[in-house]
Amino acid sequence: MSNTPEHPAALDRRTVLRRAAAVGMLATPAIGLLSACATSGGDKENEQVAGGTKSEKNPLGVKEDAAIEVVIFNGGYGEKYATDVHEPLYKKAFPKAEVKHQATQAVSTVLQPRFASGNPPEFVNNSGEKLMDFGALVADGQLQDLTELWDAPSVDDPAKKVRDTVVPGTIEAGSFNGKPFVLYYVSTVFGIWYSGKLFKDNGWAPAKTWDDFIALLTSIKAKGITPYGYAGANAAYYQWNVILTHAAKIGGTDVLKNIDNLEDGAWKQDAIKQAATAWAEVGAKFSDKSFEGLKHTDVQLRQNQYKVALYPSGDWLEGEQKQDTPPGFDYQLMPVPSMSSSDKLPATALRATAGEGYFVSAKSKNPKGGLEYMRQMLSKEGAKGFTEVVKAPTVVTAGSEGFSFPPGVASSQAALKAAGQDVFNLYFDGWYKELDTEARTATNELMFGRINADAFVERIQKKADAIKKDSSVTKFKR
Amino acid sequence: MRHGKYPFVIGFLIVPVALYVTFVIAPYAQAFQISMTNWRGLSAPRWVGFDNYRRLLDDGTFWKAVQHHGVLLLALPLITIAIALFFAFLLNVGGKASGGQRQGVWGSRFYRVVFFFPQVLAVAIIAVLFQTVYRPDESGLINGVLMKIGLDPVLFLIRPNLALWSIIGVLVWQAVGFYVVLFSAGMASIPGEIYEAAEMDGASRVTLFFRVTLPLLWDTLQVAWVYLGIAAFDAFAVVAVLSIDQGGPDGATTVLAVEIYRNAFTYQKYGYASAMGVALFFLTLTFAALTLRLTKRESVEY
Amino acid sequence: MDAQTTLPPTAATPPPPSTGPKAAGGRRGRGPRSEVRLFAGLGHLALAAWAVIVIVPILWTFLAAFKNTSEIFSSPWTLPAELRWENFGRAWTKAHVGRYFLNSVLVVGASTFCTMLFGSMAAYVLARYKFIGNRAIYYLFVSGLAFPVFLALVPLFFVVQNLGLLGTHTGLVLVYTAYSLPFTVFFLAAFFKTLPTSVAEAGMIDGCGHTRLFFQVMMPMAKPGLISVAIFNIIGQWAQYQLPLVLLPSGYEDKWVLTQGIANISVNAGYQADWSGLFAALTIAILPMIVVYAVFQRQIQAGLTAGAVK
Repeated sequence: MSNTPEHPAALDRRTVLRRAAAVGMLATPAIGLLSACATSGGDKENEQVAGGTKSEKNPLGVKEDAAIEVVIFNGGYGEKYATDVHEPLYKKAFPKAEVKHQATQAVSTVLQPRFASGNPPEFVNNSGEKLMDFGALVADGQLQDLTELWDAPSVDDPAKKVRDTVVPGTIEAGSFNGKPFVLYYVSTVFGIWYSGKLFKDNGWAPAKTWDDFIALLTSIKAKGITPYGYAGANAAYYQWNVILTHAAKIGGTDVLKNIDNLEDGAWKQDAIKQAATAWAEVGAKFSDKSFEGLKHTDVQLRQNQYKVALYPSGDWLEGEQKQDTPPGFDYQLMPVPSMSSSDKLPATALRATAGEGYFVSAKSKNPKGGLEYMRQMLSKEGAKGFTEVVKAPTVVTAGSEGFSFPPGVASSQAALKAAGQDVFNLYFDGWYKELDTEARTATNELMFGRINADAFVERIQKKADAIKKDSSVTKFKR
Repeated sequence: MRHGKYPFVIGFLIVPVALYVTFVIAPYAQAFQISMTNWRGLSAPRWVGFDNYRRLLDDGTFWKAVQHHGVLLLALPLITIAIALFFAFLLNVGGKASGGQRQGVWGSRFYRVVFFFPQVLAVAIIAVLFQTVYRPDESGLINGVLMKIGLDPVLFLIRPNLALWSIIGVLVWQAVGFYVVLFSAGMASIPGEIYEAAEMDGASRVTLFFRVTLPLLWDTLQVAWVYLGIAAFDAFAVVAVLSIDQGGPDGATTVLAVEIYRNAFTYQKYGYASAMGVALFFLTLTFAALTLRLTKRESVEY
Repeated sequence: MDAQTTLPPTAATPPPPSTGPKAAGGRRGRGPRSEVRLFAGLGHLALAAWAVIVIVPILWTFLAAFKNTSEIFSSPWTLPAELRWENFGRAWTKAHVGRYFLNSVLVVGASTFCTMLFGSMAAYVLARYKFIGNRAIYYLFVSGLAFPVFLALVPLFFVVQNLGLLGTHTGLVLVYTAYSLPFTVFFLAAFFKTLPTSVAEAGMIDGCGHTRLFFQVMMPMAKPGLISVAIFNIIGQWAQYQLPLVLLPSGYEDKWVLTQGIANISVNAGYQADWSGLFAALTIAILPMIVVYAVFQRQIQAGLTAGAVK
């Protein structure tokens, strides 16, 4: 026999582990030599399909039979608007093209590998809790420049460019250092939501000033209802949004601009401290500690059951809760209240933006197809169809005409109108995902009483400074 | 007889070695390389030397994660082994000795089967299960009871000092059965004469346990410690699925695997994530080396 | 356990695991009876308590699978008002739990087969043949036991991608196999060493070739060890979550395995609040494990612990 065991099983686990550890130690320095080139995989260019002939019907020059893959975030708006409205529109325009549809809740988890491998889908709805970092995508040249789309003639009126069919601010919202990369499609208004029915039954009225607001919260609490709440487990950004909106009202819109531009000490501005102090008090006195462990659907369900009175969110809320909303609930929006009479912005001011981001992958097989898909989305028919399915207004001006919105969206549209010019937005969360994460964490710490406003601004500022110094992060300005 | 040995040896080794080198060794090697770059997964990586490692030193979350591994490394083996030893002792020698057979307590077979069961479930599934067990309101399994009898709910995953222990609880829940069976095997091999002799001297159950069972099980305990130590360095699935905000609140439950995942797949900082991976690798190695050294103690021969 | 008892007893071979107390000898214990009774009583209490802790969450899940969302939230501790089988229908069809389950069976079956075949081949030559590089290869394999999988995740994706195996079951099977080799080789090499040489020598004298000797003589002799490792691998691969997440990304939903699917539904529950569907899916995932475990529990316990007592 070639090898008879001299000492059967003499090699016990201890010996083996020790030797294995030794091998590990020895192997480490030499390991760099071994490495093949995994990292080169990302460079591999995808074979892109040739363009088709440009025509009046096909101004972008899409290849007629080239397939297009559409990935939709299956969240508040669902996926039906894509399968029932936009994808059929594309198919109608290009009957020979195959439209591959896919929906997911965890965009980054499932798409990141596709991007890393140089095989991204053409069209992506990048949204939700696990959205991909827009800033990183832009920095890596993964996103198709949308200038061509905005300058193309619109579907409905060839004399009109696409850029002239959308509400002002739409293109800017999706621009990075002045270049448009993202289509924010849904007109979104942020505020604090309540049940019109609950308020009417109890004789409560939405608050405009901070004193009114505290009085309102107190009387709600007296009724045995949790006055205010957000979901700490996955939706803390709903609350930092409230704090920052409040800060912008106190100190003017430059407060937010400084944050977005990573200005030194931006988070330590007095307006932010004031707002954080005020909301920490709300968290301590008028909320429920258990909400920190709940997901947004849980807290939203509680509001539908009249257990929570006020809930901060965007106006997708009403559509998202459709199944659980009892009849007569009557969603209503109130803007974040004013702090005092010395506020820079009036009580009606609010944060509104084009929301729900869509992009075309520059390195996909058929980027022109992706652009054309967007052009179809931005047609009157596409926008109207979207609004009918999800009950939310789009950025397409003609899309909402003559549509009667459900009460919640109607109230947010009215609030938007009332705000007039005093509408603002913020961008840092899309530009610097890490800063968003830190703001969420700090917000939970603040609202559930573990740190005060000073510590709150201190720690986010620290993160902002670190990002500013980090050379691997691409910076953006507005 | 030696004729044709080498073709045979090569023929038998070629497929397994090729598979292993391609899918295991090569990726590990590349991870070291990537950790020296600022690669974000999309365009070509740029060599940055030890920048990522320097940044690690200043990263509070990283150190929090390392600290949690320290806690896990102590608590998980200690708690699990203590409970499992206790149960194994009960199941094997806890009952009365009759007819020459030392017996476990009544129903010991049933208990062994039940205790072991969580071991066959996937951790990801167990984590989903415990999400509902720990829920902070009346819909949670535990808090539902507490609130029904008029107590305040326990905020298992929310209170920063409790969250990590809630996670450890799940890990212990799954692990105990395995070690009960493992220790039972060890105990069953301890000759009955030894117990008998000890009992003749009037030793109580407790004395039996500490003077007889424990020393004779030393080898098995060592193995258990190593296994649980390795488990303490992972804990990804349970933290990622169970904790609020993946490792929260405010990093109170985070572990290196979760931070690696977050940096790689949320921030797309592959270089930085790989540096964390390398750090984790050296921590594991250090643990292995330390354990081997510390437990170097003569086992009792019998 | 049966797997181990056939091992030839050697000085350093650890004691065979056993599901029952086997210690022999000894007359009636002389310790004070009351002490025994007290100890047994308290012990019973502790054991029963732990059994409840293990069983209740699982049982509770099964119950919740028949409730609707409002029942789950308002009365978690009551029995479901009616048996809502449609929850299972939803989990099976809408959430595709059935397909994920089948995929898991397929992948784990194939990869366990490959692991056992290649692992035992490598272990056999490493254990019983002297050749240059034997120890080096052996320790290369065994060192894999010390590496955290997380270190390799990103590059691994590209290796699989460059081989054109991304999003295929083949790719996942090969990766599972590769990552199962360290333990399999480690365990089986030790096992092959303990097999008596006389049989092998007799075979060689009878003109049996190396390959035939392995498949027709050694493999059957090693059956107990093979079964232990196979069970160990099946359980480990069945529970894998990270690797499929990376290697079967979106666009390959029809290839997904069970852990991926359940985790995905858990995310869904966040957005669509289909809690009863989630519980039904969990039930579908857990119930077969209970059945398999009930049938094979001796082998499973032995297989999983066999690795540890070595």
